[in-house]
Amino acid sequence: MKPQEFEHLQGLLASRAGFHLSRDRLFLVEHRLAPLARREGFGSVEQLLQALREGPVGELAWAAIEAMLTTETWFHRDRAPFATFRDEVLPAIARVRPGGRVRILSAGCATGQEPYSLAMAALETGVSAEIVAFDLSTRTLEKARSGLYTQFEIQRGLPTRQLLRWFDNEEDMWRPKPQLRGAVRFERANLLDDPVAGAPFDVVFCRYVLTDFDPARRPRLLDVLGRTLADDGCLFLGLNETPADAAGDFRAVSGRRGLYVKTPGAVRRAA
Amino acid sequence: MRTCLIIDDSRIIRKVARRIVEGLGYEVDEAADGAEALAWCASVMPDLILLDWNMPVMDGLSFLKQLRAQPGGDAPKVLFCTIETDAPRIAEALAAGADEYVMKPFDGEILESKLAEVGMA
Repeated sequence: MKPQEFEHLQGLLASRAGFHLSRDRLFLVEHRLAPLARREGFGSVEQLLQALREGPVGELAWAAIEAMLTTETWFHRDRAPFATFRDEVLPAIARVRPGGRVRILSAGCATGQEPYSLAMAALETGVSAEIVAFDLSTRTLEKARSGLYTQFEIQRGLPTRQLLRWFDNEEDMWRPKPQLRGAVRFERANLLDDPVAGAPFDVVFCRYVLTDFDPARRPRLLDVLGRTLADDGCLFLGLNETPADAAGDFRAVSGRRGLYVKTPGAVRRAA
Repeated sequence: MRTCLIIDDSRIIRKVARRIVEGLGYEVDEAADGAEALAWCASVMPDLILLDWNMPVMDGLSFLKQLRAQPGGDAPKVLFCTIETDAPRIAEALAAGADEYVMKPFDGEILESKLAEVGMA
């Protein structure tokens, strides 16, 4: 692969999706784009990359962007944040909202395990919740909407009692029961677009998105998240992620790793 | 050191599972069927049991029922690890006293996540 082609792809991912394609992921380009190149009739990934460089940013470019995004996820990833959400955050916010209704956003939901985990928590605790799940990739959203998971996917992080309660077995796959499937609304959205449709949300899960985000665009993402979150809302990031670039808009909740709330300064600025 | 008894008639499965749970700091013993396992538990009750369903001599479900009826038999955490994937069968295993259920084939991450579920990771 020519350096200028890698750099072009890198630039495309950063400017359109905020995704940082580091040099050590060079090997991933060939692996992830080969099926797309074949499908689109290119002789090689090299030829596909050349076409991307020469053509406008259209369907082909977006298909390439989607293919490069990180989609790894599982149910109740890291466990503790989901327990905090179910046992503390959800009841506390429901108490202070009209009709006890809590609005939740899963930003960067990939194949849907995160929003379905949140929905199970709400359904099991009897909290009325509106759950919206965003992702940039139409392909992963399609899978998320269908809710069809392989035996490997369904077992990662999902307790068996919840499996039996909320999923049906379809041959080798598992699918959420209608009540669970109906509890999440999936939408294609770009976190670099502003303002976020449907904001403000009381709880925002945006986990392991910052990790792969272009460092130069992290402040912008955090700014968008700040305006997406209600003033008294809760932001969940990945365990190793911090809103360090957010100009002091968030503060960590002690003893609850990955959980952030707005600072009084941020609330004043927004007012 | 925490102890784990792996009950499976396949030597290969026992070997794979052993590697994973040893990696988590367990001291591992093995049994090839339910009867052998019951004899083992009568002398040393393990902290954790990984249990296959279909085995010669005594199957996993019969073992589990007899284990839970034994003095001290409610102590070990039991993870069923089998190729049975029908929801009613899974429910039957849980009703018989299994703490968690793993469908084969599984990998290290799945097993770890199930162990975390029962507080034994």
